[in-house]
This record gives sequence, structure tokens and C-alpha cells, in this order.
Amino acid sequence: MTISEALLQTGMTAVVGMGTVFSVLIILMLIIMVMEKLFTGNKTPAAGLKTVTTAPEKAKIAPAPEKPAAPADDDEELIAVLTAAVAASLNTSTYNLRIKSYRRIENNSTAWNKAGVRETISSRDF
Amino acid sequence: MLESIIDFMRNTGVAALILNARAAIDAGNYLQAVGTPLMIIIACVLLYLAIVKKFEPLLLLPIAFGMLLANLPMLPDSSAILMHTDLFTEPDLMIDGHLNIQRIVSDGGLLDLLYLGVKLGIYPPLIFLGIGCMTDFGPLIANPKSLLLGAAAQFGVFFAFGGALILGALGLGFDVYEAASIGIIGGADGPTAIYVTKTLAPQLLPAIAVAAYSYMALIPVIQPPIMKLMTTEKERKIVMKQLRPVSQREKILFPIVVTIVVALIVPDAVALVGMLMLGNLAKESGVVDRIAKTAQNELMNIITIFLGITVGATATAESFLNLQTLGIVVLGLTAFCFSTFGGLVFGKILCKATGGQVNPLIGSAGVSAVPMAARVSQVQGQKANPSNFLLMHAMGPNVAGVIGSAVAAGVFLAMFGK
Repeated sequence: MTISEALLQTGMTAVVGMGTVFSVLIILMLIIMVMEKLFTGNKTPAAGLKTVTTAPEKAKIAPAPEKPAAPADDDEELIAVLTAAVAASLNTSTYNLRIKSYRRIENNSTAWNKAGVRETISSRDF
Repeated sequence: MLESIIDFMRNTGVAALILNARAAIDAGNYLQAVGTPLMIIIACVLLYLAIVKKFEPLLLLPIAFGMLLANLPMLPDSSAILMHTDLFTEPDLMIDGHLNIQRIVSDGGLLDLLYLGVKLGIYPPLIFLGIGCMTDFGPLIANPKSLLLGAAAQFGVFFAFGGALILGALGLGFDVYEAASIGIIGGADGPTAIYVTKTLAPQLLPAIAVAAYSYMALIPVIQPPIMKLMTTEKERKIVMKQLRPVSQREKILFPIVVTIVVALIVPDAVALVGMLMLGNLAKESGVVDRIAKTAQNELMNIITIFLGITVGATATAESFLNLQTLGIVVLGLTAFCFSTFGGLVFGKILCKATGGQVNPLIGSAGVSAVPMAARVSQVQGQKANPSNFLLMHAMGPNVAGVIGSAVAAGVFLAMFGK
């Protein structure tokens, strides 16, 4: 085989080869995109639900400063949050933990301090 | 009594070493005379690289030991010989160019029998089955554009193919079959390279396998300089958007769709891609955990032992100690470099096309060495910007590269398969 023949063969093989590789993977890309469309189509109502659930949360937070005890009513959610926090700090799974009881530790800060903390928290617009 | 002792002495390795060397010198073949000790030294160097330098030890260790076993000094007709490469290459010992299975089973040593698994194309697809069980295509499904990077990173395959043909024209004697087998090293995928080579150029199998696995181990050394050269500091700092979560339904559909699409276009790649996707489906479906576990652990380990030791055993002095092996070593490196280059160029194109949302560093992960290439992207990205986490983004092109190199292998087999 001479060099010019080698170059010709290389050119042809590269065009066919890269062309095939690209066309197979581009077809797969298009199929994945279609699949994504199909499945995100199912997701839009879910996203709608999410905004619905976040709305009451905001509503809950808003009256909180007036009545600080109100969020504590939701025990299950609080326990879930506590479990997750403990699991994260112990670097373990939530399945290994069971919260048996919890109580608020009284802090010795002054009324002014508490008011300041509460104001800072409520001023954050999450 | 004395005769049996002399017989025993004549059968020792020392006697064989001396007698073989003398026969080779008489025939005027000096390379052959020093071939046996030289090959044992090479095998020991490879063992050193595997054990001390940790170069892909899972494969390089059995390959190197297979090379050692096949090159121990033995008399030509000794019944202790473990591997007879001539049974697989010598036309006189074959039937119409096909393997003479009868002869291999009755005359063959241990490694001949195990080598049938390579020669008949059994081991590489089974390795792919195990790889499929360990692969998560989630990052690829979440970011389908990664497929383009996996395709672009096959550029080195065709570049090295051309390089081998030109070297062939200049006198190294590579034909198209050998050039295709050398090119596929650029796919950075051991089983794929072995699968192509055993069909197109079995005489180059040991050199190509050793080159492919050594360069895969060297990816953290080969890629970073090219990555730095090809990208700007600003591009390397790009933080990519978090990937969307992928539903299980998509992960289950993906392997099925890929198998059908690949079969429709490149049927020759189905042995590899089909098994890869079967393994992945076993994992993602979640209903055959036992199968998935066996495929990715026990089965894959067993096949790895068989594959490594027999590929190494094909390395005889006459097939390994020549200029062609040197050419393969150089071309293999070129192939890796240009695959990295191709991926990075396309990464830059995607970066421009998406208005700077894609970090071009993930392009180099399109060479399929999973997960090493993706880790290199992660490390380079984090060097430029400590808060940058590219690993999952780079896994997309990385697994796409596995599909891409299997497709490239299918193209070669379809074009040049005998």
C-alpha cells in the first residue's frame, strides 16, 4: 500500500466510522430527549402540587412571630427534620435512628435577645 | 537406570533453554536465541508495574503472568507446554482457515483450552455484561448531549488507524486489519480492543492488550496536559447546572432502546453492546438482583482471570519482540491523545453552543476508561475552581464513550471482518 492509498483508505474509513458513531449516538440522544419530554409531561402536575404545598408553608411562617408555638403542632414533620439533622451530623442513615422523645432546652438568653433572634429569622424572606 | 536420569535431565528447563538457544543460533535467528530470557524479563517488568505501580493490576497481573507461563523454556514437543499459539495461527494445523477444535482439545495445554474463550469471542462480551451491571447511565440520560462527547472522543481511533496505515506504507508492514486493531486502542476500552483484535489481527493481540491496559492506567498522566492546553482557565472554572433526577422508568427503557438502535445500524456491535445493556437492565430493573450480583462479581472475576492469562500467553518472542510492537506502543499513545483531543474540541463547541453552560473539561471523559477519565475531569475542574464538582457531569460522556467505542469496533468489524 502506498502512502496516498493509505491516506485515501484512512479518509474513507474515518468518514464512514465517525459518521456511524455520531449517527448512532445522535439517534440515541434524540430518543432520550423524546423520553424526557414524555416523562416531564407527567411531571408538570407534580410540580404544580409542589407550589400548592409551599404556599401554606409560607402562610404558616407568616403568622409564626405572633404565635411561636404554632409550628410545634406538626409533630411528624418536626421528628422527620430532627432525624434528618441527627443523621447528617452523625454521618449515618435515617434508618439507623429512632427519635424516642424530644424537648426544647430552655435557653437563658434575655427577652431582648430572643426578640432579636425572632426578628432576624422573620426578616429573612425564604 | 542411568538412562532414565539422563532423560530427566534432558527434560529440565535448563536443558531446554540451552538446546533451544543452540537450535536458534544454528538457524541464524539470534533474536530467537535470546527471546526466552528476554520475554521472561519483560513479563517480570509488567508484573512490577502491576504490583508496585498498580497499573490496572486486575488485568496486567494475569496478563504478565500468562506471558511468563507461555515463555518458560520448554523443548518444542514437550507435553508440559501450556500454550501452543501455532494451533490458532498456523494454516497447516487448521481446517480451511477455521480452528481445528478436535486438535486443540486433544493436543492443547491448559491455556490453549482457555484461549478458546478469547478466540471464539466469549470473554469480552461477558466482561461487558459485568460492566453493564456496574454502570449507571443516569448522568447520561439526564444530559443526553454527553452522547456527542462520547462520539467525538472516538476521533483518536480513526487517527491511529490512519497512522498505522501510513507506518505500514513506510515499511512497518501494518495492513488494514492490523491498523483497525491498533486504532481501536484509542477507544480506551480493553475488552473492545481484544474483541476486535482477536478477529482482525490475532497475532497482535498481546501487544495491543498490553498497550491498551497500560495506557488506561496512565490516563491520569496522559490527559491533564492536553486538557490544560486545550481549555482556558475561565472555561475550566465553569460550574455546571445540577443534573435532573432520572426516573427508574427511563433507566429501564434506556438499555432496551440502545440495544435495538445499535442492532439496526451496526449489528456487529451487538455482541458487546447487547451484553452491556443486558447487565444494565439486570441492575436497573431491580428484579434480578442475584443475577446482577453474580455478573458483576464472581462471573466477571473468573472471566478476567481467563482473559488476562490467555491474552498474556499469546505473547511469544517472535510475535512480541519486533518493531511492530514498538509501533503499536507509539500509535496507542497517539490514539489516546487524539481521542482526548477530539472530546475536548467537542466540549468547547458545546460550551459555545450552550452559552457557557458546559465545562469543556468533561469532553475528555468521552474516552471510555470508566471511571478514570471522569475522575481526571473532576480533579482538573476542582483545581481551577475548588467548588466545582464535575464528576457526575463527566460520567455522562464517560459511559457514552463505552457505547461509542463499541460502535466504532462494530464499524471496523463490518468493514474489515473476514
